[in-house]
Amino acid sequence: MTAVLETRGLGKRYRRLWALSDCTLSIPAGHVVGLVGPNGAGKTTLLNLAAGLLLPTTGTAEVLGGPPPANPAQLARLGFLAQDAPVYAGLSVADHLRLGADLNPRWDEELARHRIERLDLDLGQKAGKLSGGQRAQLALTLAIAKRPELLLLDEPVASLDPLARREFLQDLMEAVAEQDLSVVLSSHLIADLERVCDYLIVLVGSRVRVAGPVEELLATHHLLSGPRRDPATLPAGQQVISASHTDVQTTLLVRTSDPVLDPAWTVSEVGLEDLVLAYMSQAAGPGRRNHHLGVQK
Amino acid sequence: MIWLTWRQFRAQAVTAAAALAVFAVLLAVTGPHLASLYAASGITGCHGGSCGQLASNFLSQVGTGLYPAVYLLGIAGIVLAPAVIGIFWGAPLIAREFEAGTFRLAWTQSITRTRWLAVKLALTGLAAMAITEALSLIQAWWAAPIGQAARLATDSNFPLGMSPFSLLAFDAHGITPLGYAAFAFTLGVTAGVLIRRTVPAMAITLAIFAAVQVAMPLSIRPHLFPPDHTTAALSSFSSLPTQIRPNGGFAFGVDYLPSQPGAWILSGGAVNAAGQPVSTSPAACRSEAITGSPAWTPCLTSHGIRIAVSYQPTSRYWALQLTETAIYVALALVLASYCFWRLSRRPS
Repeated sequence: MTAVLETRGLGKRYRRLWALSDCTLSIPAGHVVGLVGPNGAGKTTLLNLAAGLLLPTTGTAEVLGGPPPANPAQLARLGFLAQDAPVYAGLSVADHLRLGADLNPRWDEELARHRIERLDLDLGQKAGKLSGGQRAQLALTLAIAKRPELLLLDEPVASLDPLARREFLQDLMEAVAEQDLSVVLSSHLIADLERVCDYLIVLVGSRVRVAGPVEELLATHHLLSGPRRDPATLPAGQQVISASHTDVQTTLLVRTSDPVLDPAWTVSEVGLEDLVLAYMSQAAGPGRRNHHLGVQK
Repeated sequence: MIWLTWRQFRAQAVTAAAALAVFAVLLAVTGPHLASLYAASGITGCHGGSCGQLASNFLSQVGTGLYPAVYLLGIAGIVLAPAVIGIFWGAPLIAREFEAGTFRLAWTQSITRTRWLAVKLALTGLAAMAITEALSLIQAWWAAPIGQAARLATDSNFPLGMSPFSLLAFDAHGITPLGYAAFAFTLGVTAGVLIRRTVPAMAITLAIFAAVQVAMPLSIRPHLFPPDHTTAALSSFSSLPTQIRPNGGFAFGVDYLPSQPGAWILSGGAVNAAGQPVSTSPAACRSEAITGSPAWTPCLTSHGIRIAVSYQPTSRYWALQLTETAIYVALALVLASYCFWRLSRRPS
């Protein structure tokens, strides 16, 4: 399995605050990867490091098999949509397409025109006058029409209303389906990721809590409920992710690749949101690192 | 990248072109009449001693009303242009991209940020230099009769007309505007790269540029070349502002050198026969009756008192212009190199 993004001990410090520290992860190619984590987990910093917009303080990052892009050929292979979808407020939609065509040798003019038409964007409209959703769509158009092999999207829907959010993600899915494209998409909104991602990475405090194909994660995680008992008595193959107890009942989220055979348990499927929340709250335990900086500088 | 740079710069370029056009029209409307007055003054083709008087007459003729105002306005425009360019073109060039976050858009296109910066700096910087020098050339054309007359005039009431070395005249003419524009522009860009916010970068740009523009003529320019020294007889000065103090004290204000019209006087004053500065009259010239009377300066002269002057001759004008411009261009290149280095290290 080739990795589109691989980091080893990656860290970034702003003055005395670590925005990301000692992050080691590997993101496989050919997926739409959801990078999920609480604010301050280091998602934005990780993506900016991967895009070559930041230099790491420690560790290394490999993007598409090489260092983060620094020359035109490498830059052409990577599409990046930064947080809040920055566009030039004083330039029109048409100007942005011209910009993309001028600066990208692999620019797909037809694709760009087609998308703008379908999105019903006015070519003469100044980008500063677009709605948040339209602006994000314009920025996505620029990122897609440069025909990258890897598309990094940093919180692309965070500032959009629910309708614009749904349209944006649907549109992204169509673009991915049409092109041979790996996508890494960061968000703290799990419901959005559930709709589009087939691979999930939960990042908390710069650490990968869990990573894997969504289907596999859902298939190997089970919610067990039954009479109260000590989680330590479970079979060796069952890893407890979270546990809650009442006086008489115990509810566990366990990860296991084997079927749960103990008839004392009522086994139910777990939703992606509950699964992610369980991993996030697990991280909020004793090992929580609270010196991380959430904001992207 | 050239297109994007132009597209982002377009509005500013149009504003600048409009300002240049207004400037050119103002001078083009008033210039021909000034030239016709000069042609009628008889300075062209004058001989020997009459030239000075004719030139002085011409200067007093145009020295009131419209012409000094246009002259000063033109000089002010040229001197202020680099500062305006540094503030409104230089400071926002990169700071604006940081403020709006658009650097993340620009730097993830298939183009290195070195090239991105190079095109922005080159196009906008050259435009800055071109427009400032254009202002200067237009004004120099307009003021040519005044400059000619000022070089010949024995005395002048015309503001700033005395010498090409006058504080503002030297800054506004020749090639120095090129250097100032290049420096002010890159100073603004550098401030923007460092501070990453447009308005503070503008303020810093103005503060530093103003400080440099004051320090250069006052403390650096006089020392770019070692000055020449000479002495001249008191009688050779047709006018010599004199300050008389009690107990025989006196001082002369020397602001020109009869043998070197147009020279830049750095310092001048009375010296005795041994060449040492003097500030008190010899006993023989000290009486109430003599001091300040027409007999006084001959009395001083008879006691060996002369005027010593250190100065930069007019022949050194272009050497000074070139050296000063080279200093500013070198500063601009250093600042630009710093910006390249800083951006290639990526913002942290």
